[in-house]
Amino acid sequence: MTSSFWAYFYDPVLRAPMLGSMLMCVSASLVGVLVFLRKQSLIGETLSHASYPGVVVGVIVIGLMFGDLTGSQYSGPAMLCGAFLFALLGVRILRFLEKKLKVYPDAALCFVLSFFFGFGILLSSEIQISLSNLYRQVQTYFYGQAATLTDLHISLYGFLVLLIGSLLYLFRKEFKTWLFDPKFAKVSGINIPLLETIFLLLVTASIVIGIRSVGVVLMSAMLIAPAAAARQCTHRLRRMFFLAATFGMISAALGTYLANEISWWLINKYPGTRMTLPTGPMIVLMSSLICIGALLFAPDRGLLIRFFRVIHFKSTCLQENLLKTLWRFGPSSLPSLKEHLLVSTPFLYWVAFRLKRKGWVVKKGLNYELTDQGGVYARQIIRLHRLWELYLSDYVGIGPKRVHASAEEMEHILTPELERELTEILSDPIFDPHHQPIPPKEG
Amino acid sequence: MSPYFDQTFFSFFQVLGTRLWLFLSGQLPLNQLAADEIQLLVLSSVGISAALVGSFLILRKMTMLANSISHTILLGIVIAYLLGSTVSEMHEGHLNLPLLLTAAVIVGLVTALTTEALTKIVKLQEDASTGLVFSSFFALGIVLVNLFTRNAHIGAEVVMGNADALSPDDIQLSFVILILNLFFIIFLFKEWKITTFDPAFAKALGFFPQGFNYLLMALVSITVVGAFRAVGVLMVLTFITAPALIARLFCHRLSMLLFFASLIAALASIVGVALSRHLLSTWGLALSTGGVIVTLLGCTYFVAAFIKLFSQRQRIPREFT
Repeated sequence: MTSSFWAYFYDPVLRAPMLGSMLMCVSASLVGVLVFLRKQSLIGETLSHASYPGVVVGVIVIGLMFGDLTGSQYSGPAMLCGAFLFALLGVRILRFLEKKLKVYPDAALCFVLSFFFGFGILLSSEIQISLSNLYRQVQTYFYGQAATLTDLHISLYGFLVLLIGSLLYLFRKEFKTWLFDPKFAKVSGINIPLLETIFLLLVTASIVIGIRSVGVVLMSAMLIAPAAAARQCTHRLRRMFFLAATFGMISAALGTYLANEISWWLINKYPGTRMTLPTGPMIVLMSSLICIGALLFAPDRGLLIRFFRVIHFKSTCLQENLLKTLWRFGPSSLPSLKEHLLVSTPFLYWVAFRLKRKGWVVKKGLNYELTDQGGVYARQIIRLHRLWELYLSDYVGIGPKRVHASAEEMEHILTPELERELTEILSDPIFDPHHQPIPPKEG
Repeated sequence: MSPYFDQTFFSFFQVLGTRLWLFLSGQLPLNQLAADEIQLLVLSSVGISAALVGSFLILRKMTMLANSISHTILLGIVIAYLLGSTVSEMHEGHLNLPLLLTAAVIVGLVTALTTEALTKIVKLQEDASTGLVFSSFFALGIVLVNLFTRNAHIGAEVVMGNADALSPDDIQLSFVILILNLFFIIFLFKEWKITTFDPAFAKALGFFPQGFNYLLMALVSITVVGAFRAVGVLMVLTFITAPALIARLFCHRLSMLLFFASLIAALASIVGVALSRHLLSTWGLALSTGGVIVTLLGCTYFVAAFIKLFSQRQRIPREFT
């Protein structure tokens, strides 16, 4: 049975898993922003693993109280409580190791993670036989299983998400100050220990909510990936929260949809096997894809964008240098130009082609020649170069022999406003420190 | 019938001693190893390997990279099985040793390099790039396992480990890994020491500290791959951290640290196997052996830490008097 993507939002059976995982990912992404900006992304990894024995303990308590079969309807809240308590215990032990035993945070995180997880495995191996029905529920917390969520879960998780959201909203000013300037926060009388406690409670709560659909093993990714993607796209905290929540929601929706569809496809293709693809890995993969996309293509900080900016700047510099060389030596061929410029041959040809397209140079036979327009531009660059040299030697007091290198860089960067300022300071000079004429301002 | 059936904690060692004597005097052939003995051998050699690399990881403050590798190694395991054999063999324990180790090393190095590239080239903060790399690799690994083996349990088994499913092949694997670890650590001991404690000095002397980081990553990868069937990729992190942390409470020399960490790991493995047998015999609790050892190691650490804290607290007044 495959359904259209939108059916997942209104169909009574399908909508609970979908909305449930979206809510979970929203809370994780919101808290993830705090964690990311605190540079403590890995605490989520430790706490999610530390909550695993809590899930098992919750199940054991329920199993002892109600028995294996009848207990399964009460197990949800019990597992939530257990997970919450054990994650908090994990935080306490983490702090104890770091403060009292002076263990390096890295090692402490790793130790608490694996010790708690191992203890959880120990407990769960015990209930594997004695409480086999409940054990199956515990297993779904490994990689997350959204399929068995019900409307009741949704209202519970919705309430928790509201709680997290309102806490974040209430303490928005305090959090902002604390995140960006902890010292100032302390001086202005913000209760830092309280804030830290709230922070840890929020992290724990979002993890405990999330492990149901993403699973303990991969939960930490939902704290990191949406926040990292959001950070790439904006410089403002509020927008970062909104973006992270949106990214989290999108990855939850896509992940749940794909996990479900692939499971159906597998069941149809291999009827004998009784398997379902867990939702956790799919959601995490989707959020990682979004994050990689943001890392590469984000408008301001994306890797490719930055790369293109560097290439563009280099090409502008070379164009200007080429114009300058042509202005100085008159019409010349590309091989002879190459002797004056430090550049690879293909790049030089490309830049010459660009200049021809712009109408700044024309090709006559083998030689390139400046057009009138190109001449104006070349003189402007020479003017900037010599203005800067004069400024350095007359105004800053650097020896005339040492000013050329700096001017060679600044001629590409100086803006018209700076040029005006320089002209004013140097009272519209005619000669540079090397007694070369400075071309007058044109146009 | 296992000779250890229904033995308690102490009689376990009696049986072990008798069988060891029989083996040494040539009355017991090697291929008649009991399941408990296989566990004992695999777990203690895995434990020693992990303690050795773990000591360096902790001293170099790179423990979270081990966490990354323990997650991403799943991808390596999946790829090795897809390349090396038909997937159905995964249950039968046919290990293609060189392929598995190569895949592990490659994945380990790829993890380290990707994390570094994200930090240095993409300019993502370090904690986030670590988390992003291992979680996405791991998610990919889980999806691949599910798609190609069509068995949801393997994913859980890789994480939980199953000491009861070990075969004599695993002894071979874990011994090879232990020997590789010992070889690299003993023969490059001086270099390890200097690059760990003073990388700048090491660089000035003409060593290549970064190269030793990558070598350590490779050793961590093969150690994790050797451990995943016995204790799972996450519990091996306790094997890596706990012995070194315990030993560090009392040791101040690198050689002593390495020795005692290995000793603690080996002892914990032996006691853990005996203990899980004891619990099964007397109380009928079939516990995960890996879980028992991890809990044992963790509790040992806490006890040792409290002893240390307590002895420090007593010493302070004496300094004032």
